[in-house]
Amino acid sequence: MTPSNRRAPWFFLSPYLLLTLIFFIYPFLNAIILAFHQTNGPKSRAFVGWRNFIFVLSDSDFHTAFWNTTIYALASICVQLPLSLGFAMLLNAKKDNLKGIFRLILFSPHLVGQVFVGIIFALLFMPRHGLFNRFLQGLIFWGLDQEWLSNPALVMPALIIVSMWMYVGFNMIYFLAALQNVDQELTEAAMIDGANAWHRFWTVTVPAIKPVAVFVVIMSTIGSYQLFEMPYSMLRGYGPKNAGLTIVGYLYRTAFETGDLGTGAAIGWVLALIIFTFSMAQMAIARGMEID
Amino acid sequence: MTNFPYGKAPFWILVLSLVTGVILLVVSGKSDNDSYDLVFVTFARSHLEGYQKATKEFEKEHEVRVHTQLVSGRAVKDRLQSALMTDAEVPDLVETLADSMGYFTQGPVEDIGFMDLTDLLKQEQINGVTLYDRFVESRFSRLSRNGRIYALPHDVHPLMLCYRRDIVEDELGIDINQLQTWDDFTRIGRQVTKDLDGDGNPDRFMIDLDKAGGDFIIPLLQQRDEGLFDVDGNLTIDTEGVIDTIVWYIRQCYGPNRIAFSAGWGQTLAKTISDGLVLFYYCPDWRSKQFEMDVPQLEGKLALMPLPAWKPGERRVSTWGGTGLAITKACKNKELAWAYAKKLYLKREDLGDRFMASYILPPVKDAWELPIFQTPIPLYSNQPIGQLYAALAPDIPPNYASPYYELARSKLSEAFLNAAQYYQEQGKTGLRDYTRSELKRVSAYVKKVMIHNVFYADAMQNTSGETSNRTMSK
Repeated sequence: MTPSNRRAPWFFLSPYLLLTLIFFIYPFLNAIILAFHQTNGPKSRAFVGWRNFIFVLSDSDFHTAFWNTTIYALASICVQLPLSLGFAMLLNAKKDNLKGIFRLILFSPHLVGQVFVGIIFALLFMPRHGLFNRFLQGLIFWGLDQEWLSNPALVMPALIIVSMWMYVGFNMIYFLAALQNVDQELTEAAMIDGANAWHRFWTVTVPAIKPVAVFVVIMSTIGSYQLFEMPYSMLRGYGPKNAGLTIVGYLYRTAFETGDLGTGAAIGWVLALIIFTFSMAQMAIARGMEID
Repeated sequence: MTNFPYGKAPFWILVLSLVTGVILLVVSGKSDNDSYDLVFVTFARSHLEGYQKATKEFEKEHEVRVHTQLVSGRAVKDRLQSALMTDAEVPDLVETLADSMGYFTQGPVEDIGFMDLTDLLKQEQINGVTLYDRFVESRFSRLSRNGRIYALPHDVHPLMLCYRRDIVEDELGIDINQLQTWDDFTRIGRQVTKDLDGDGNPDRFMIDLDKAGGDFIIPLLQQRDEGLFDVDGNLTIDTEGVIDTIVWYIRQCYGPNRIAFSAGWGQTLAKTISDGLVLFYYCPDWRSKQFEMDVPQLEGKLALMPLPAWKPGERRVSTWGGTGLAITKACKNKELAWAYAKKLYLKREDLGDRFMASYILPPVKDAWELPIFQTPIPLYSNQPIGQLYAALAPDIPPNYASPYYELARSKLSEAFLNAAQYYQEQGKTGLRDYTRSELKRVSAYVKKVMIHNVFYADAMQNTSGETSNRTMSK
């Protein structure tokens, strides 16, 4: 290989490498440096060592934000994903013309922007005149004056309801694709062996869709920990008693409302570490289940 | 091409990437704004529409081109923050919410991205009156730091109460003149708040107040000269006045004697007004236009009244919201920008026209003498609402900026909700002491966050005579 041939790949990779350097590596390194500084106005900064990290980890509002986000993430995994799988199985079970329409109906909320969804649901959750409250009142004679967005105890349920509306259909598409790839011969063999529907689900379907399920769980976890726009627009802030304060919301408040970019960067790193830890744990659990 | 060592395809890929790269460089290097003499950004469509006439006149008078841009409020703040930090291109003039001025005016004075307008305002005179004196003085409070002014106030936003006149006066026979104090107001409120159809849900409430506190408590605090911060930037959310206000507010929103309902905003608010579910609403000047658009069917059935006072003879107005016009330090032609700012904010005739388009009272006092401010407005039972707002405007309380304003507001709301929960569980016994302890707690939290900022801590030390030896880099 001549020297010019050896340089050729680097030459053609250079646009990508340059962009990565400018838009990923530089901000990445700068964010590390910034996390150990504090800022004052647009130009001044002072080195503070680990002070920002110590402050964040001991701050009661960060704890609130962490628990709020974790509850939301757990709800995403424990409520939303089983629902997504359920809908996917329903759509996968029958072959009829309405399947495409149902798929579109369930998926379409995901096409709407989070800010828009937040504003619309803020109106739906209004006491007395909100459609959601009127629906509840008509259905179970309760809820007409419930203040979903003013009552700290109801804020998280409201957020979870909205996220279900938005994401159940989206995750369903992944599950549906996985279900359509389940080997039918295995299912039929299990039926011949006398396995009932429940056994077929656990012994044939679940192992077959596990890679996709692990992917969806990890992506949902990451997405949940990055939650910001929807609660911020729905609650016009962080909600009563910070009931809608998420980790990214806490970051935004610290960095862009009070102007402490250094502590904001430290929060970003803590968040990255949290997501990394949970993702690794989920992958390890999935691998462990595979070995079993 | 045939001699290119890697073959034809890589050659053409290279040519294509070079050509597109050069085009992109040329296109992105030349900003649209370069062809204009001034770039002005605002977040409110109504403001922008109101400025069209003055802008055209200004362009003609000065033979210049002004580029006006509409950008959403949050985006204005976020983009300006980023641009100021990175020395990127910024507009010459920008209208921003007064709430965010605390952020933009923090740090060393030389780093503040906005021009100091104080000397211009205090030196320039028209008919012997300085520009500063033409404005309502308290409106500079949110736009200043250490007595220096960094933006012109766009508005006054006096807060009155709007009420369903047809129900309150005609149906219930309430004499509005009897509602002199908040005590009067709550006493009457307890009589009129009731379940009319016996279904267990009250069908009529006296006033619209947010049960989460939100933006509704602060105007009440300001009315009695309380607030989140004082003129020196000290946190003041645990004073006796704040405790009194929160205890009062809780008792209106919760418990069997409540008189308040959270009507929300937008369509649900409009429905609440038109149904007569709530009788009285906060009504700053900007909301009076909103009501006109949302409930035109109530023409002649609404009216405005001053806020009841906390004590007889005390202030009967507060304020809600605010906008400022700043000239950025990066502005290429500051004299031209200042002339444009004066054209937009100080030309009396335009201010009158703009008032009729938005019902937003300008902060320029001499403009209120224009006959247009006496115009009767049909929705409000032909009250001359411009005159009503203007009569109260000189008494508007000041409200001071801080980068910690949002945090303090959120923490005040947290203390309020904890106290409200206490009231629901324990009743009024001990409520005041509990509220005080909650306010002390959240106040300590906000102070902890403020002191976490080493610059703030240094500033506090320096004011107490100590010298900072912290290494700072710029």
